[in-house]
Amino acid sequence: MPSNTRGVFSLIIINKAGGLIYQREFQSGLRNLSTNDYLVLAGTFHGVHAITRSITPKIPIAQPAPSPTTSSTGTTAPTASGYSYPNPGVPVSGLDYLETDKFRLTCFQTLTGTKFLLFTDPLTGSVDTIIQKIYELYADYVMKNPFYQIEMPVRCEAFDRHLGAWLRGRA
Amino acid sequence: MAAPPRHATMQSISNGSTAQGTDRPQTQQTPQAQLSQQSPGLRVPSNRKTIYDRHLNRSRNAELSRASFAFLFGEMVTYAQRRVTGIQDLEKRLNEQGYPLGLRLLDLLFYRSTSTSSSALSSSSTSSSPPNRPLRIITLLHLIHGPLWRLLFNRAADALEHSVSPDTPNEYMITDNDPMVNTYISAPRDMSMLNCAAYVAGIIEGVCDGCGFETKVSAHNQPTELWPSRTVFLVRFGDPVMEREKVLERAGVK
Amino acid sequence: MSYYFTILSPTDTPLFNIAFGTSKGGGDGIARFRFPETAQYMNQFIIHSSLDILEEAQWTNGGMYLKHIDTYPPAAAYITAFLTPSGARFLLLHQPPHLPSSTSTSSGLGSSSLLGTAGSTTRASSSSIAANPTSPQTEEAVRQFMNEVYESYVKTAMSPFYKQGMEIKSPVFRTRVTAAGKKWL
Repeated sequence: MPSNTRGVFSLIIINKAGGLIYQREFQSGLRNLSTNDYLVLAGTFHGVHAITRSITPKIPIAQPAPSPTTSSTGTTAPTASGYSYPNPGVPVSGLDYLETDKFRLTCFQTLTGTKFLLFTDPLTGSVDTIIQKIYELYADYVMKNPFYQIEMPVRCEAFDRHLGAWLRGRA
Repeated sequence: MAAPPRHATMQSISNGSTAQGTDRPQTQQTPQAQLSQQSPGLRVPSNRKTIYDRHLNRSRNAELSRASFAFLFGEMVTYAQRRVTGIQDLEKRLNEQGYPLGLRLLDLLFYRSTSTSSSALSSSSTSSSPPNRPLRIITLLHLIHGPLWRLLFNRAADALEHSVSPDTPNEYMITDNDPMVNTYISAPRDMSMLNCAAYVAGIIEGVCDGCGFETKVSAHNQPTELWPSRTVFLVRFGDPVMEREKVLERAGVK
Repeated sequence: MSYYFTILSPTDTPLFNIAFGTSKGGGDGIARFRFPETAQYMNQFIIHSSLDILEEAQWTNGGMYLKHIDTYPPAAAYITAFLTPSGARFLLLHQPPHLPSSTSTSSGLGSSSLLGTAGSTTRASSSSIAANPTSPQTEEAVRQFMNEVYESYVKTAMSPFYKQGMEIKSPVFRTRVTAAGKKWL
């Protein structure tokens, strides 16, 4: 896919409290923000993400027989017994991606609530693969590092190194 | 296995076991044996298999999860980091954690190479099977560089050098380009001198001491462009070892 | 043939000891030393006195099994040594019984053990192990015994609850050593 060579602009990692713990630019193309602006961006996105999650619409269940088993599938919907999320097996995820004609923002949330925001070129393909790999590198080089404190800013030289090398290898 | 409890109920279980029951009369034959054997308090696992019933080569080719090792080692570093005064203190603690492992590995290494004729030792040491205890420094270092590294990391170390300086003939260097213990570890910037492979240095020290070579081993960062976590283990033998080495050389001991 | 086996740490701390007799040639595996009243401490004394020789031998012979290293003629005690790579020493003292060829046969032994040894010595004289403590067959038998004990020792040392230099108290270990003695000696 030729679009793969088009870039990954930058990566932001937000902890579960909405704080910015990692920010790195891989390729210029977006306008640079000041550090403070990145912090604001992280906090704002965290809030927006929470809102999008809670406004996920519910659709009425086709079969009008509200049994307690079906209502328990919607985890955050104790009252709406006759309604369900579009896909009851999958928890509500909220904002997944945001696209403009200049860039695409993909959000990936881990089970622990950490969010990875990846800014890519809109033509870049297989963003999911990239984000999965970044998650893998994060799990390896950040979470297995005894000097990393959970929820604190990520300063792991090995993570930077491997992330850079892997993305360079793709490009 | 949990620490052996001293409950009377447990004793009655172990006494009732068939394996113990048949073996007990043998030990009673020797009066001295009976003397030193006070209240065994032995707890036998439910499958009646103690560590003595398991074969030592059983896990010889078994694979271990790298991730679980990384998490375990990470916790060891965190544990060692409590109440330390500085980097040297932390490295000393890691070294002390590795030391007893070195002593144990030495016995296991020789057991495994004697019990199976396909000796991993013979490739580096001059002798054929059965392998000999290392008597000279070079034999010992080859043992560490080859068989020990293969036992621990499934590959040999990358280099073995002797100090070129005439002032320090007792210094040897073993190089590992990418130490497995450091794979996932990035030391913070204010601790850039720290190398968690001090644990491996402790293992080497244990092996040397076990063989009768008094040694101090330390791990040093020597990054290169290609190998950012390249580590050099500096092995410093004590003076008595160097004196004995001279005597053995004159005596022609290999 | 009577045996006294001991394990010493690299710093000469006794870790384990056991006395037993031969099981070959109809032996009943009970130790009958020539001087039963002093054997308890004399055996340890004789074994420890051979440590100097062992420490010389260990730097000229790189093998783990150092064979017969010392003899104490007054007690007809032969010492055989095995050295683990980590420095623990296995020392076996063996004392052949009074052979029938010596002046008066088993009269020197305690009257309680008269029956058992009388039977064993006659047959033991044909068995090479008991007859000659320095014969190649004996050395080989002791080697087998030592190797078997070494295996159990490695298992002990690998236990996370065992620290180098600790006395080995495990009854299972004792059983294993006894079984090895029965099998080979």
